[in-house]
Amino acid sequence: MREESGRATAGLRRRDVLRAGAAGAAIGTAGLPGLAQAQAQAQAQGRGRIAFANGSAFDTMDPHATFDVGRVAYRLNLYDGLMRWLDNPPKIEPWLAESYTVSEDGKRYVFKLRQGVKFHDGSDLTADDVVYSMERILSIGKPVTALFTPLMDRGSTKALDRYTVEFNLKSASAIFIATLHDLYVVNSALVKRNERNGDWGQEWLSRNDAGSGSYVLQRFDPARGFLARRYNQHFLGPAGLEEIDFRYVAEVNSRVLGLIRGDFQGTDPYMPQDQIARLQADPNMNVMEAESTRLFYATFHHQRPPFTDLNFRKAVSHCFDYDGWINNILGGSVVRNTQVIPNPMWGAPKDVAGYTYDIDKAKWYLQRVQVPLREITVAGMIGYEQSMQAAALLQNGLARAGVQSKLLNEPFPVVSNKFRDPAQMYDMLFLWRSTYYADPHNWAGEMLHSNRRGNGNNGYYSNPEVDRLLDQALATPDQARRAPLYEQVARIAAEDAAALCVHNGKWYGPFRKNVQGVRFCPIGDGQEMRWLRIT
Amino acid sequence: MLRILRKLAEDRAALVGLILILALIAAAILAPLLSTHPGDVTEFHTARRLSPPGPENWLGTDRMGSDIYSRLLFGARITLTIAVTAIAVAVLIGVPMGLIAGYYEGFGSNLLMRVSDIFLAVPQIVLAIAIAQTLGPSIENVILALSATYWPFWARLVYAETRSIKNEPFVEAAIALGCSPFRVMVLHILPSISSSIIVRTTIGMGGTILTAATLGFLGLGPPPPTPEWGRTIAESREFLPMAWWYAAFPGLAIFLVVMGFNLLGDGLRDVLDPRLRRAARHGK
Repeated sequence: MREESGRATAGLRRRDVLRAGAAGAAIGTAGLPGLAQAQAQAQAQGRGRIAFANGSAFDTMDPHATFDVGRVAYRLNLYDGLMRWLDNPPKIEPWLAESYTVSEDGKRYVFKLRQGVKFHDGSDLTADDVVYSMERILSIGKPVTALFTPLMDRGSTKALDRYTVEFNLKSASAIFIATLHDLYVVNSALVKRNERNGDWGQEWLSRNDAGSGSYVLQRFDPARGFLARRYNQHFLGPAGLEEIDFRYVAEVNSRVLGLIRGDFQGTDPYMPQDQIARLQADPNMNVMEAESTRLFYATFHHQRPPFTDLNFRKAVSHCFDYDGWINNILGGSVVRNTQVIPNPMWGAPKDVAGYTYDIDKAKWYLQRVQVPLREITVAGMIGYEQSMQAAALLQNGLARAGVQSKLLNEPFPVVSNKFRDPAQMYDMLFLWRSTYYADPHNWAGEMLHSNRRGNGNNGYYSNPEVDRLLDQALATPDQARRAPLYEQVARIAAEDAAALCVHNGKWYGPFRKNVQGVRFCPIGDGQEMRWLRIT
Repeated sequence: MLRILRKLAEDRAALVGLILILALIAAAILAPLLSTHPGDVTEFHTARRLSPPGPENWLGTDRMGSDIYSRLLFGARITLTIAVTAIAVAVLIGVPMGLIAGYYEGFGSNLLMRVSDIFLAVPQIVLAIAIAQTLGPSIENVILALSATYWPFWARLVYAETRSIKNEPFVEAAIALGCSPFRVMVLHILPSISSSIIVRTTIGMGGTILTAATLGFLGLGPPPPTPEWGRTIAESREFLPMAWWYAAFPGLAIFLVVMGFNLLGDGLRDVLDPRLRRAARHGK
């Protein structure tokens, strides 16, 4: 880095950069808590295997093709990124990066890569691979593309030398480092060899492995899941388990029974609270519990009447039985979140009262709706019981208020395809906004900014004032100055009934008792397997 | 008619079937009177969700706290509506088609039967799923899907029966007397094969209810909050085995109704089919 490297930067203060560098340098010894111990145990035991029942199907192994938590396991375990979010509260740690510097104007980032990192085929991971991976993300038009497209143009990322990469942003961005977790680096030489008609190797990579992660893909079958074996040459040393077997098990009961019987050692927590309680009561289970940042909400289609009318959105917001949902259906396991930013996250305002279940108020607002009313569609996601139940509960409230509605439950792949097309998007859809990076922008920015419409902003919400505040927040490096901007955005969105915000969820990690070392991080939902061991 | 009823009364299995079906019809008609919580078809009471069977809720409550007994009664209306309408449409399509194809010979007749063969070549449930999935979940679409997949059974049956009796002397006599083909088919052939149609229809009702429940289970039936039995079972899966009543009672209702139609169909066949009666007499 030139003259900027030694000075305070726009993106981060100097001591942050130095701290990052120091952390990076320390990785491999004691930089990542518990790592040395886990490594030692792994080497001592040598074996160990986990069968993990996953409720979402793995339909691809391409790390840039998916951007959801349900299929995060292969991204986290087969691939490495420049940075990685770890633990809870989440901290972003240099991973493939050793250190980085930021220019004064916050637009130029230079990363020094760790040397000696090998891909699974034995070749070196270099700056060219990072450049190729970023270009690939920007070119293939997948959900993760939307994360980086506003930040940089294709061709702007450069390999300065074998282990130095330069990113040139269009404008300063306070979240660039936070999003680099999702820059999974692929083996460019290998992928290029398998490109067909300029497809960036998408067909090949959807079924093969070109990573450097803790595990090497052994078998992949979309109907069954994937099996991966420990990569002993991983730059952090061998992982704790020799083999990870992620199986697609659609039925909640099959997952729960399999876990109780010992067929599986872990499963995802996307199940009714009643099943979590059932697992908690089992003496062989260790259902881990942690505060998380995962907003459960419903979209409103802001481009389609009657949702274009604020009074209608407010009326619908008063039709959801929040207390019945939280206290009865979810057994008090979650906390009401009245606005778009999860309560534990900085930047979340504490003074938003939110909407209450009040049919009289709903009727009052309905009388003031200026556009013709019609039957609305409330959608839920098949396989996600909470989503379907919430849709049914809202329908009940709507019926009491006199709003005609019909329910439509569809599987996530169908739902996610509809996000991008406002003509196909549902009037309302119950879903979660998970943590992809621990920053209020992950919710406020992604769900509300007009440049994210169809890619996070699934209700096609648009408010120039919100856009202005979000842009200002992105261009502001200091967290203390950013926080009030996000608080203001969240208040405006609540008053504007931009979405029907319901609750912030806890994370439950159902594992058998002999599984140790789970490191939960809201980004990835604790599915990074390298820390685990079987006792 | 009285003779048939008397014969049916002698057949205990058929009598049980008849009682079950009458109970289904009574439940469907009297649902508002018999149900303990008639509002629960659309109303939720989350505070009492997944309550086990008891004095307040005889068959327990579901995931939203609605009374399962009341929803089952109202669900009988949907089940009956779907089954009766779908079968009626299938009969209205299949019977004339079979009659015409069986009575006439030639290209047109062959074409009609080959079309029905094509429909029969695809498993009914797969075809019904494909149609219901394409059209979207609703009662009307379930009826359409079932009708479109069931009519070939009647067409085949009527075709075969017509072929077998079209050369009988009474048919030839009618033709010789100058009866029009329509008159021969409707007034001479159809009454002679009506017993087979009735038996097939009765047994077909059971299968139709099962298929309708399957479509509901797969999320292709009428959308919530309609208390359709198949979808209720699908919803209950997430809460098994804790809330066993949630799946057990709708499952039991489907079982009893399907069994009722099958028992009655078997009984009717024994009573109405002269060949079976003769075989039974000779057997003695």
